Parts: sequence; C-alpha cells; structure tokens
Amino acid sequence: MTAITGIVLEIQRMSTEDGPGIRTTVFMKGCPLKCVWCHNPESIRLKQQVQWIGSRCIGCKLCVTTCPNGALSFDNGIIIDRTRCKGCGTCTEVCPSTAMELLGKRWEVNSLVHELLKDKAYFLTSGGGITISGGESTLQTKFVQQVLIQLKHHGIHTAIDTCGICNQHALDMLLPYVDCVLYDLKEMDPQKHIVFTGKSNDGILKNVRFIIEYMNNHLYPREVWIRTPLIPGKTAYDENIVAIAHYINLLHSKAITRWDLCAFNNLCKDKYTRLGISWELENAPLLTKEELMHFEAIARENVYNPALVKTSGSTRIEGDEVLVAKPKKMSGC
Amino acid sequence: MSALPQSTLKQPKNLSPRIQWLRDYYFKGTERTWNNEFTCFTTGTPWDAQYNEMTFYIVPETYTLMQTMYQSFRIAAHTVAIPDGFFTWSIPERRAWFNKEVMVHYLPHEILPGDLIAGARFNTQTSMCLSKSEMKKRTKRVMGKNGARKKMKWFHDHGFGNSGATSGHIIPDYAHILHHGFKTVYKEIETIYQQLSPKEKKGQKGNTLRAMMTAATMPRDVALAYAQTCQSLAHEQSNPSRKEELLQMASNLAIVPWEAATTFWEAVQSLWITHMLVMSDENYPGPGVSFGRIDQYLYPYWQYSLARGMDREFGKEILKCFFIHCNTAYDAMIRTGNNGITAGYGQLITLAGVGKDMHDMANDLTFALLEVIDEMSPILEPKPNIRLHTNSPDALLDKVVDMVASCQGAPFLLNFDERSMAGMIREAKKAGIQHLINEDNVFDYAPVGCLENTMVGNDRSGTVDNNLNLAKAVELALNNGRDFFPVIDPITGKVEKVKQVGPKTGNPKTFKTFEDFYKAYELQTRFIIKKITELYEESESIRAVFHPTPYLSCLVKGCAQKGMDITQGGAEISFTTLEAVTYATTVDSLLAIKHLVYDHKVCTMDELINALKNNWDGFEVLQTMAKNRTPKYGRDDDYADAMGLRVMQLWTDESWNYKTKSTARQFRPGMLSWNYWVGSGYILPATPDGRKKGQFLSNAICPVNGADINGPTANANSVGKVLGGKDHPGEFMDYVNLLPNGASHTITFNPSILKDPEHREKFKAFLRGYAVNGGSALQINMLDPAMLKDAQKHPQDYRHLLVRVTGYNAYFTSIGKELQDEVIARVSHNKF
Repeated sequence: MTAITGIVLEIQRMSTEDGPGIRTTVFMKGCPLKCVWCHNPESIRLKQQVQWIGSRCIGCKLCVTTCPNGALSFDNGIIIDRTRCKGCGTCTEVCPSTAMELLGKRWEVNSLVHELLKDKAYFLTSGGGITISGGESTLQTKFVQQVLIQLKHHGIHTAIDTCGICNQHALDMLLPYVDCVLYDLKEMDPQKHIVFTGKSNDGILKNVRFIIEYMNNHLYPREVWIRTPLIPGKTAYDENIVAIAHYINLLHSKAITRWDLCAFNNLCKDKYTRLGISWELENAPLLTKEELMHFEAIARENVYNPALVKTSGSTRIEGDEVLVAKPKKMSGC
Repeated sequence: MSALPQSTLKQPKNLSPRIQWLRDYYFKGTERTWNNEFTCFTTGTPWDAQYNEMTFYIVPETYTLMQTMYQSFRIAAHTVAIPDGFFTWSIPERRAWFNKEVMVHYLPHEILPGDLIAGARFNTQTSMCLSKSEMKKRTKRVMGKNGARKKMKWFHDHGFGNSGATSGHIIPDYAHILHHGFKTVYKEIETIYQQLSPKEKKGQKGNTLRAMMTAATMPRDVALAYAQTCQSLAHEQSNPSRKEELLQMASNLAIVPWEAATTFWEAVQSLWITHMLVMSDENYPGPGVSFGRIDQYLYPYWQYSLARGMDREFGKEILKCFFIHCNTAYDAMIRTGNNGITAGYGQLITLAGVGKDMHDMANDLTFALLEVIDEMSPILEPKPNIRLHTNSPDALLDKVVDMVASCQGAPFLLNFDERSMAGMIREAKKAGIQHLINEDNVFDYAPVGCLENTMVGNDRSGTVDNNLNLAKAVELALNNGRDFFPVIDPITGKVEKVKQVGPKTGNPKTFKTFEDFYKAYELQTRFIIKKITELYEESESIRAVFHPTPYLSCLVKGCAQKGMDITQGGAEISFTTLEAVTYATTVDSLLAIKHLVYDHKVCTMDELINALKNNWDGFEVLQTMAKNRTPKYGRDDDYADAMGLRVMQLWTDESWNYKTKSTARQFRPGMLSWNYWVGSGYILPATPDGRKKGQFLSNAICPVNGADINGPTANANSVGKVLGGKDHPGEFMDYVNLLPNGASHTITFNPSILKDPEHREKFKAFLRGYAVNGGSALQINMLDPAMLKDAQKHPQDYRHLLVRVTGYNAYFTSIGKELQDEVIARVSHNKF
C-alpha cells in the first residue's frame, strides 16, 4: 500500500491514565489550540522540533559543529536559534547522549500498529487498548483512521482523546473505529475560552453534540469520557464547573460514562524552558486537596449522575519535600 | 528529618500479647539473654574442625574470613564424649551419631515464654568427625597448593564468577513426615537395608543406610526431650491456660514427628522439628531450606482442627510462633555480625498456584498464611512466594495487591506457573527424566531460596552452586582469550602476569564482520562454562567423600532407595544449576560492538578496545554513544531482544552438555544473580555497553540498570521473549522457558500505580498479563528514594525497613552502602 505516514511525538506503554485498563497511548504531534496551561507544549506544532536536555549533555559540541544551518551555539549550554533551526534533526543524529532530541518521529501505519500490538496481552487482561492522544488526535486524520482500522481488525479496544476542534468529516472518518472518546470540555464561557486557548468553544460544543448523537445511535460498546482540566486562576472556578455540569445534563446520554476533573500539573515547567518559551503558569501552585474536593463536590451536586465524576492528578503536598510521580504525558487538556 | 511520615513504614498489627512479646523479644537482637547462635562441638581430637568453607565459596564476602571462622569455631567447640571405636565407623555413621548426640544430649531444650512450638536451638557447628588421615586428605584437597580453595579464588579473582557445593536449597519431603512420621521413614530405610547382601551391608550402601537409620531417630529423641521440658514447665506453671498449653505441647511432642500428625498443632510442630534439624544436620542455618507448598500439605490438618473446634485465630497463632522460629535462623552469628553469610536466608514458603486441572489451589489456609504475613510484617522469614497464573482468583490478587501497597519492599516474590512449569517440563526432556517430571505432577513444583524452581521432596538442584559471569566471555573474546588486565591479589598485592587463560579465538582487530566476533564470543562462552563445571567438580567431589548429611538424606526420595547420601547424588532428581550473572550487560555489549564497530562504523575495534583498556577515560563521547545510542535489551525492541535470545540459547544449550563426574549431577541453567552483579562489577573491566569498571553489572534477567525506558510491560515482554517466548505449539501450554531454574526479575513501580481501586485493578491486570508475556518470577519493588536516603542517614529509625535485592530480601540498614545506593538509583530511575 502507499505508505501513509504520521508524526508521532511519543508512545507511552502501560499508561493507566488515558482511558479504561492498561493502554498504550500514542501522542500525535500538532494541535489547533494553544492552551495557556498546555502540559505538552512540544506537541502543539505539527512539524518536528529540536530540543536540548541539559542534564543529559556531556558538552562535546558535536551538534554545534554538525548543524547545517548554524542554528546551534554553546554558551554554558546549547543555545538553539529557533529562527535558523529547520528541525532537520542532524544534531540529534550525532549527539552521543540524546541530549539533542528530535520531537516527533515519522511512522508508517503498519510499523506503528506492530509497535502498538506488543502489549495486547495486557489489554486483554485489563480491558485496555490503544489511545490516540496528542496534540490533537484528529488532526492527522487519514493516518489515525488507518491506524484505528488496523487496530480494530486485531480486536483492540480503541480510544481517541480530543480537544474537539476538528471538522465533522474527520469525526465521520474516525468514529466508526473508536470505542471510547475522551472529550475535553475546558471552559464554558466562549470569551474566556478564546483567551485561554486561542479559539472559541463553539465548534467544540457542536462536535460534542455530534459525537453524543453518533454514540447514541451506535451505543454498545461505545462511550464518552468528558474531561475538564482544573487550572487555578483559569478554568478552576465554581461557575465554570457548574456550567459544564449543566451542559453535560443537556447532553444526557448513556454514552457518557465518566467526567474526569484533571488537576493542574506543573511538571511540564522545564518543557517550556527547553523550547525557549516563557510560561504564564510557571509559578502557579497545584490545587490543594481541599480545592480539588470542593470542585468535585460541585460537579457531583450539579451533574445528573454524580457517579460520573472522577478526579485525577497531583495535589499540593504540605510539608518539606514533594515526592512527585513520574511526569505523565497528559492529553491535550 | 524524614521526608515521609513514619506511618508509611509497615507496622505489625493484630498481634496477641503472646506474639507481640515473642516478636519484640526477637527484635531485641543481641540484648536477648536467649539466642540461637552457633554452638560448636568437637570429637576432641586435635585435628578436628567444624567449618566447611566450601559451602560458602559462593559468598565472596567470606573469603577473607575463612581461616578466622575455621579457627574460631575450633576454639569455641565443646567436646562431646565419643564411644570407643568411633573412628572405625564410616563417616556418615559418625556424623549421624554425633549430630544426634549433640541435638539430644548437649544442646539445651528450651521453650520461650508463651511459645506454642518447641524447637529452639538448632544452629550448630559440629565436628566433621574425620580421622586424622581423613582430615589430612581433606585438608590437602581443600587447602592444598592445588586445592579447591585456590582454584576457587583464582576463578573469582579473574572475574569468572564463583562455584561451590553449597548446602540448603532444597524442599525436603516434609509432607511425607506429616502424613507418616519418621517411624515410617525408619522402617522404609530398614527394609531396604535388610534386602542388601552381606557384602553390600559392609559397603558404602550399608554405611549410608545405617547412618540414615540413626539420623531418622534423632527427631523422635529431640521431640521427647522437648516434651520433658514442657512437662516440667507445666508443673511449675501457675497460670492454668498456659499450663494446659504446655501439657498439650508435651502431648504433641510425644507423638510427632515420630508418628503421623493428626491435628494442625501437631502438624506444625512436626514440620518445625523436622525442618530445624535439617539446618543442624548441614550446619547451615537456613538458606534455601524451603517448605514448598505449605498451604497445600498443611491444609487437611487445618480443616481437621477447625472442624473440631480450633479457633481460626488460634491456628494463626500457631503459625505466628512458627514464623518466629524461622527467624531465629538469623541468630547464627548474632554477636559477630553476619559477614554476608546470613543476610539472605530464604526459608521459602510457596502459596497458591495451580493444581492438576490448572485450577487455582488457594484455600482458607493460604489466606490465613497471607494474614499472618501481613500481621507479622515487617519480618523476614519465612519468605513467601506466591504462585500466580493467568487464572489466579481475584481474591488472591486483591490480597497480593493489598500487601504490595501496604508493605514498603513487600517481603514476597511472585512466581508464574505457566512459564515455570514449561521450564520444568523442558528440564525433564533434556535430562530424560519424564518419569519424574511430567504433565501429571509438574503443577506440584515449588521454588527454593527465592525463585529457583524444583520439584518437591526428591530434588536437589544445587540452585546457587555455580554463578558464572557471562560478560567474562566478551572480555576474553576482545583479547584473544586473555584477561584485559593482570590480576592483583587483593591481600598480598602480588601482580599476576596476564596469561592465555581461554582459547585463542583470534585477534579481534582482524575480524571483518560481527559474525566473526560472535564466533569468538561463542567459543569463549563454551570455555567459561567448561571452566566452571571443572571448578564445581572440586568441591562437589570433596563433599561427596567427607560431608555426608544422613538426616537430610532421610527426607529426600531416592537416597534410601539408592543407598546413597544426598551429597553423593542420592536424590531422584539430582541437578546442579548454572546461574548466569551479567546477562544483560553481555547482551548490550554485543549489541554495542555490532552497532559501533560493524553496522555504523562509529569506531574501529582497535579504538573500542583501547577505550575499554582505558576504562573509557579519554573516550567519553564514544562511551556516551555506547550507553545511549546503541540498542538495548529490555525495551521490547525485537532487534535487541533477538540478540538476547541468541545469547540465552547459546549458554543454556551448552550447560546441558555437562554432568558432575563424581556424583553424576546434570547441569541446568538459571538466572539468580543474588548480589554478584554488585561485587563482580569491581572485578570485571569496562564493558562495551558503556559501563565503567566498578559500576554494577546487570542483575539476573533484568535489563541493565536504567535501560528499560519503555516501562514495565516492555521490560516484561523482553524477559518473556529471551526466555523463549510463547505461541510455540507442541510446547507446554505453548510456552518455552529456557531456564528451568527460573530467572529473577525485579520491576520497580511507583507507588502511584496503587493509588486507588481503579489503579489496583490495572495492576492486577498487569500481573495477569505478566503470566502471559513475562518471565517465571517477579519481585515488585515499591520504594521511595527519599525514604531510602533518609534511612541511610538515620539507620536507627529504619530498623525494620525491608528491601528486595534480587531474590533475597534484607533489612535495608544491614546491607552495604553500594547496594543501598543501587536500590536508591533504581527507585530514582522511575523518573526517567
């Protein structure tokens, strides 16, 4: 077959955070939104990018001398001139330590599927499968569609994690091969949504209705998990949670099986530094446990089925040392 | 300041005042007035000795202390009055008589306050019972110019590994004693003896069987001595309920282990006396003398007593006393420090697992034992190994997960039935003993020590006896059969000239392809395997002549039937295991050579060898590439894992080519590693995978530290693949396991995997998936780096902190700094 390819940021095995059971999550590159809290800023651009991970660097400067575009220099660390860097990845090939890292790898459908089937045994024992996340899972539509078709052919449970910005044609292409949709409802106020993400939530709300209707007509075994990132000073306020709850009440469907409240996570701080981007939320604290419980309570009070509400993510640890879990790639939310 | 609240340390719970007192008393350690430290006994002859160094040849920490221990046990020894004509008896008869005499007439028979199980002191160092000329011969063969010790030291100092005929590591036929008593064993031996011809009676067979008959009466007389103690304590006792207990114990001891047990209390009493005397017989406290499927063979007694009114909690109380007794094995050298000898006992109990129809056999006693473990923990002995499989019941997995969640460094191992049994079936085919291991009985296998799979009651597989550094073959192949560096004697400082030790496999600089190099590696691998089998022959053949264990022989099927002591290969199933160390380091080194020198021509062979000879100093870029840019085993990368399988097939196939000459024991492959990957790291030079000298080698079947960057499932899949994989029609349940002994695999999880019920379900599913894709045995580590670092600084606050290192567990504060750092590195690596 003609090789359709896609750009994948990362494949995470044994993910326990991206849908039911044990999953392998494929983080696609490219996202139409620019959320101020984005946990995976390296996933936003569709094109491949280079980053430098200082802790791995041995200072050999092979990258500096090899770069065909003169984009790299060394001044107490590798400095990437983003105006010159074309993301060709030459530096990442010569780097002995993987300090120079190419974000985004081009995969062919067959080889990606082969990779994704490796944990089939665990999918079967756990009711898990594959989640296509991102970035935005629907952006590289054709590629993702082909991957999903093959996965279904192998009897694998599939999920997509989407921000909801896509045309309905993309959904038409993907939904027949998707068992579970993880769908972000971040902010109900359209103005705020624009401020926070760069886009209005009109399309998102339209698409969620479309998906729910599709699910209602093709119910078993399909489901939708709604996800809301709780960002301090942004989405994490009572009125927003109430509004999302009410919207879910409007959608009211058997297909909606879960509403996740995902607590803000600041582990991505150094990702911004590496990409040479300043981050508004750099010093924003995590939610306290009390705050998270408060939002959970509001969500439960206002949504038609309180059992849908689940919370996830780290909360602030009071005390002298914070023991953090392995930084999890969170979805686009 | 501890980073985490103390409450995260597992605390014992639900202990009665009796057990609380016994447990607290045990942990008082040297402050106790009573303990079970080695007591030494001699025949009184000036040449006599007790300490058999050969059984510790696999413990390099003891090498500098061998002479000290040899002498100090001699000096400390009490004289036992021996009968006239003692030295005219055969050696096994002398040993049988002597050990019985010590256990019955010399060691005190004490009962600790409140204890429900008798059998307190068993750590002994008893006379070798050799005549002057025998001792002279033995000394020459062990300590002489060309003796076992010297050869063993050479082997170790040159980085090959170690080898020695080691005690323990067996599951005696305890069930037979419970069901029939020693009386029956005695009769069985006597019958066989009576059938011997007069000539045979005078010969070795007769000697061995007479010794076994003497040994078979030892537990009866020991039990009766304890019965007397119970009687007199009962007499003095004013508390009526304790008085009643003591009288019941006296009555139990009058029956078992000589007669068959009827009640649960009798059964546990019988089991304990029978077991502790194995440790006395071998003068070897604990390591690997394992119980097997205790929840299966004790279950009829459990049911019997419960049906007749035994309170379930009282049944657990009996088990808790039994647990305390197991822990007293550690008293052996309580005042002098353990010196590496007593750090990893491993009196293993096996729980659950499939039965004949592939259904799980977990029962109420399984759960009672799990409760006991949970309530007693942290405590080291006995070590539980829970057998899991694809159909393990939810209730069992829930309990396992609860225990993993609540115990830091949960003190147990998981064994996986399908893969393990496939290995046992393979071993039966390879050794032509399908009549002894087959689909009708393989489900009754059980691990000894940590995870070393054996059959039960008729099998000695020498599971820790040979530890071979596979990476040595890489070194030799890179230097045409010579060591990289001259060996410097660690004690004298004498420099030994580099000699041709292995075959000349060619100057690697002339190799045109990787296959040329691999050919050299293959020849060197065959050489080091031959070398270790020759070394083993030394101690094995000496033991066969001078160190019989007639009591243990009574408990292992085959010995009486053949009229042959177990040390001479009497067991029906008589293997010795070649445990490969440094596996992943070897695989990654071969992958690095292929990648750097041949496939990508990053450097020449000359440059690589130069870099290794300079310990990578001045070659940092190349070293960094070797570490980071070459394929690695442990990532579920089919290319790298194919190399892993190739290496595995090579060395395992080769190991089947050897048998011991003196005792006809077949070599079989396994991967235990114990802690050699630490110590040998200081001996083996830099390796092509980017490791510097002094850094740790890889542990058992685990990927090189930090190499498993694709998470637990990928790590597990790699392990399953290199063991032979699955989906092989015609093999046992389609599984192949090239390592019948099994392989130690450790995965460290972040505690967040168990943070809520939803995640616990996912973790259970991981374990079920591991049974399909993974290896034969798994240890789950669940540790916090901050806690461990604090424990290094404040060991006094963490006395009970248990950690797992390979197949053995230890109190964190009792292991060396390097190992502590290693454990911490592993945990931190979670943040990769």
